[in-house]
Amino acid sequence: MKGRLNKKVPLYTTIFPVTFWLILLVAIPLIYVLVLSFLTRLPNGRVDFVFTMANYKKLINPDYFHIYGISLFVSAVTTAICIVLSYPFAWFIAQGSERKKTLMMLLVIIPFWTNSLIRLYGWKTILGNEGVLNKVLLTLHLINEPIQMLYSLPAVILGMVYTLLPFMILPIYASVEKLDKTLLEAANDLGAKSIQSFLQISLPLTSPGIFAGSIMVFIPTLGYFFVSDLLGGGNTMMVGNLIKNQFYTAQNWPLGAALSIVLIIMTLLLVRIYTLMGGKLDDLGVAK
Amino acid sequence: MKINKKIGNVASIIHASIIFIFLYLPIIVVVAFSFNKSKINIVFTGFTFEWYGKILKNTRLIDALENTVIVAIVSTLLAVIIGTLAAVGMNKYRFKGKKVVDALLYIPVVIPEIIFGIALLALFSTAKLKLGLGSLIVAHTTFCIPFVVFTVRARLVGIDPHIEEAAMDLGAKRIRTFFEVLLPSIMPGVVSGALLSMTISMDDVIISFFTTGPQSTTLPIQIYSMVKSGISPDVNALSTIILIVTIVVVILSQSRMLRNIKKK
Amino acid sequence: MIKMKKILMIVALSMVLISTGCNKSKESAGELNFFNWTEYLPQSVLDAFEEEYNIKVNYSMYSSNEEMLAKINSGEKGMYDLIVPSDYMVDTMRRAGELEKLDMSKITNFGNIDPQFTKMYFDPNNEYSVPFMISDALLCYNSEKIPGGITTFGEIFDPKYKNQIVVLDDQRMVMAVAAITLGMSVNETDPVKLEAIKNKLFSLKDNIKVFDSDSPKSQMISGETTIGYVWCAEAALAMQENPKILPVYPKEGLPLLFDNFAIPAGAKNKENAMLFINFVLRPEISKMVSEEYPYVNPNKAAYPVLPDSYKNNPASNPPAGALENGQLLRNLEENAQLYDDIWTEFKNR
Repeated sequence: MKGRLNKKVPLYTTIFPVTFWLILLVAIPLIYVLVLSFLTRLPNGRVDFVFTMANYKKLINPDYFHIYGISLFVSAVTTAICIVLSYPFAWFIAQGSERKKTLMMLLVIIPFWTNSLIRLYGWKTILGNEGVLNKVLLTLHLINEPIQMLYSLPAVILGMVYTLLPFMILPIYASVEKLDKTLLEAANDLGAKSIQSFLQISLPLTSPGIFAGSIMVFIPTLGYFFVSDLLGGGNTMMVGNLIKNQFYTAQNWPLGAALSIVLIIMTLLLVRIYTLMGGKLDDLGVAK
Repeated sequence: MKINKKIGNVASIIHASIIFIFLYLPIIVVVAFSFNKSKINIVFTGFTFEWYGKILKNTRLIDALENTVIVAIVSTLLAVIIGTLAAVGMNKYRFKGKKVVDALLYIPVVIPEIIFGIALLALFSTAKLKLGLGSLIVAHTTFCIPFVVFTVRARLVGIDPHIEEAAMDLGAKRIRTFFEVLLPSIMPGVVSGALLSMTISMDDVIISFFTTGPQSTTLPIQIYSMVKSGISPDVNALSTIILIVTIVVVILSQSRMLRNIKKK
Repeated sequence: MIKMKKILMIVALSMVLISTGCNKSKESAGELNFFNWTEYLPQSVLDAFEEEYNIKVNYSMYSSNEEMLAKINSGEKGMYDLIVPSDYMVDTMRRAGELEKLDMSKITNFGNIDPQFTKMYFDPNNEYSVPFMISDALLCYNSEKIPGGITTFGEIFDPKYKNQIVVLDDQRMVMAVAAITLGMSVNETDPVKLEAIKNKLFSLKDNIKVFDSDSPKSQMISGETTIGYVWCAEAALAMQENPKILPVYPKEGLPLLFDNFAIPAGAKNKENAMLFINFVLRPEISKMVSEEYPYVNPNKAAYPVLPDSYKNNPASNPPAGALENGQLLRNLEENAQLYDDIWTEFKNR
């Protein structure tokens, strides 16, 4: 008996802290959000512990569908642009010498050591009616009057792409790096055209990087309220802004909780699709 | 065939250059306007260091920097202890509920941060917990733990499980084995997990936004309100300082590293 | 990758060194957790207060009354010692028992306030609040881009101003524009009239380029927008930067807010909060505030020392009668959700 207990001591000491912490600060808060989504809001904004379905009934509303629709659209476009930008770029980097590779990856990462908000603020300066870009275009006589760029959906998408691009570059780069180049050479030797060998060998072998990158870009985009705050000018409401408003302006926590539950379900579905396609969950964490 | 390849090369160099311009353009603009005399970031009216002086006198920013560093260090320490133990235990033992712990670890990583933020806010406020450095540290520790577990676990995979047994056969106590045999071999994983935690903690906006209190404003939160209130160039000056510190450090350490690679 | 992390560690360590190097060794005698609107109080006033009383001020900011209340309700009691709610919010909080009674014997400078701004409906005996500033939301326009000028709220609904307007990101204030244009109350709750307000409001959406409560002046100054529906001080500041920007007191009237100092129930540093209120009521301190944020200043004793930039600016120092047909917001109680629903739908169009 004593021996068995003794054997379990290391198990407890290693596992207990994490289990305790995660149950207390991950499981309980999320369950609480679920509970909250079924509670009633009192007129003064406080929460009453009375069960109701009203919050979910409220979600069946074209406005909210529209907001979820826009958010999914922004996420999808952001992800697509990130893939198109990152994929050739990752290949280009991976082909360089060791020294070049390190240098290039460093150049990719340095901007992300500056605060993300400050960099978005830089875009504001660039995109304004009298901003840097319009000034340049006007001076070059390419346009006659400033293009309205700031505070629009494209501006929000640009901000999202900018903020999340490294989360696409890193996993794709990792998968290209892992790729066995001799396979490609062998295919070439066997007479395969480069497009053929790309579609049949390179692309399938690097797709795990694309999938992992897509998840790491798509999901955060749904929640980054500060990007649409800064570059959308309050015109573009995304799920993130909507949830934040329920907690901070409208003071309707139960509705905010219900909106969050829908977002959680959407996220879990996406992750499920990802794992069904053979993606590994660990890939999502380490590249960050 | 060769010409084709050349075109391809040129195209990819152009593509890469465009990406680098895209990445650096806003930073260059921010830095340039930090020296602008005019308060408005539109026309360059003259050169000045005025905004730098203003930043250095701004005690609120310095307080925020202090809070940021305290939160990052304490939550990283906690996350490293809890996370390393967890990675070791989960690697070594099978136990009931392992799948649950595993799932709980992935949740903070995959769900959008805002949900985690409001969930913690709801919990803290219902539990009447004081929002401040404490709540920030707790929140940051929670989202840092998974990253430590993942990096340490990745390292553990490559380690021979028999080392530990061998050490224990030789009569070493379990704790000594842990500190003298296992820990040194997973140290690189622990260190990179710690650094990852620290960076994530120092740049976090969303979760801090929901869990901070009046005495514990962090740098990202302070910058958020500065950026929101508009055009004051001291924001530019501040970011230029941060950028310069980073780049200097990178150059110092990197030049050595690049030389090493060259030698190989 | 691991090497890169090493660099990160060095960065982190140097940050630690910087922050500890900057650490001020001075121990303060107490704290004041102050929650105020963005762009409402200059840093210099906080510094002067810290200097004089050796009390550390923890300053954080909000963009709307609703946001402030939400934060107060979400945290533990006594998280903030001093807040600046507007009239209707004072009313709401006072009725809900969420404000501390002030000890007026400690606020000896209360007499500096113009009596016409005291004893208002939201605090008839001035037991819970002390006037800080009066803020009206008015229109301003860039006369270079709109030579004909504008005089009414009604005009900004004209489709020719598509994508040219900055408005406050504040549901009550923006809905007030639609209500005032239709000649209705800014506190309308009758469903039929609200429907009309909603339709009117929706017709404004295409004209709005940006919602900005924090610093709408920057949108006017940077030429992002040609018309602004902004706080009066924001208009005044925009005019200082660009004299071509002119203020308009719309003929139909305009929404008015009386912003007041108040102490939330359970505040831990009530004494310090009252010290601060009394401090800001001093004419020379009040002047410091008005110099940087030129809102309508109810401090009568401060008027003689106020700068000309304040006195001569029609946006901060309203011409006689300009505020006469101003409307006050009232607490909507259970109807708040109606406004919020309209707002969500509006934002979403």
